Amino acid sequence: MTITDLGLRPYPVGDSSIRRMALEARGLGYDSLVAVGVPPGDYYGVAVREGIMIADMPAKDAAAKAKRAADGRLVMVRAGDNGFNRAMIGVRGVHLLCGIEYADRHAFDHVTAKMAADNTVAVDISLAPLILRRGPARQKALDRYRDILMLSRKFSFPLTLSTHADSVLSMRSVREVSGLAATIGFDLDEIEQALAFAGSRHAGSTPVREVP
Amino acid sequence: MTVRPPTLREKRRYVLARVLPGGMTVDPKELYFAVAEAVTSLWGDDLASRVHPAVLAIENGCAFIRCRRGTERELALALSTVTSCAGQKIALRTIATSGTMESLRARLQETARGAPGALPAGTGISFGGKDVEVIFCESQKIDVVEKGFKNAARFFLTTQDLEDK
Repeated sequence: MTITDLGLRPYPVGDSSIRRMALEARGLGYDSLVAVGVPPGDYYGVAVREGIMIADMPAKDAAAKAKRAADGRLVMVRAGDNGFNRAMIGVRGVHLLCGIEYADRHAFDHVTAKMAADNTVAVDISLAPLILRRGPARQKALDRYRDILMLSRKFSFPLTLSTHADSVLSMRSVREVSGLAATIGFDLDEIEQALAFAGSRHAGSTPVREVP
Repeated sequence: MTVRPPTLREKRRYVLARVLPGGMTVDPKELYFAVAEAVTSLWGDDLASRVHPAVLAIENGCAFIRCRRGTERELALALSTVTSCAGQKIALRTIATSGTMESLRARLQETARGAPGALPAGTGISFGGKDVEVIFCESQKIDVVEKGFKNAARFFLTTQDLEDK
């Protein structure tokens, strides 16, 4: 099982170099990372793959971008409204729907869940809102995640756990991620599957690159 | 005041947590406020009163944090949600939990920080086309700040990053 942290944004977006993040990740118990905007490689024994984040664009453009980048690379799409999410889940090459906690409550319903299961598109559970937010904002994120978890148990679409860290200070250990996931309601098997999804999905494939 | 016999005393546990970024001076009182806020916001007043966190000391860049026995997991999870202390960005990495501070001190000796880095603090270097100054260096890890700016943000690099530039 390859334990992977997803959606990292190293320097120049964040304040940490990808090497430093890899060094930190090794100490935190990760085997691989998926980072946006960095060359793939192996740093300090941690495999780094490049992910593509598709956000803030119409469904048509997003689908075109995903298709162009779709040869075995990890494509993450920022969730939008219900129509956008359904359209993106149906696009071949999209692997992950992330930022679901920022989307409208009805953006991910039972029909979208069924589509995600049929197309094996994972929904990303980012722990950043649990770590960074407080009060109603965190409660809202927890509520959304519990709803997603319930749908995942019913329709069997995959989930992923990530920190979306832009700094080594935002990275968390596998144990801490597991503990925070347990507060959402994940059981041990679900946590293992969520942490291993990116690694198992892309084992042996070529590293991903950003498509302009 | 009579001292309670050991069997009637409250059972406690001590958590050792490394304070990041390295080399930063943190006031224990400020850290206590940050920890207490994190515990209360994550678990609520009820469980926070059972955890009863306290920051006892900060030694060698590590904080000794006390809680009631049986609430170590809750404390460790709350520590992972601490992101700032007195306006500075920090992170707490739980290293170990024990029943005595003595054993945590022994553990701290075992897991002592890595070898000192090659670059002493204050060394001027160039990174990403900017002149930066080393403020902390340990083993392969190097923290730098941009020169000539007050309250400049820290960048977290490795020795290899500098070799490649």
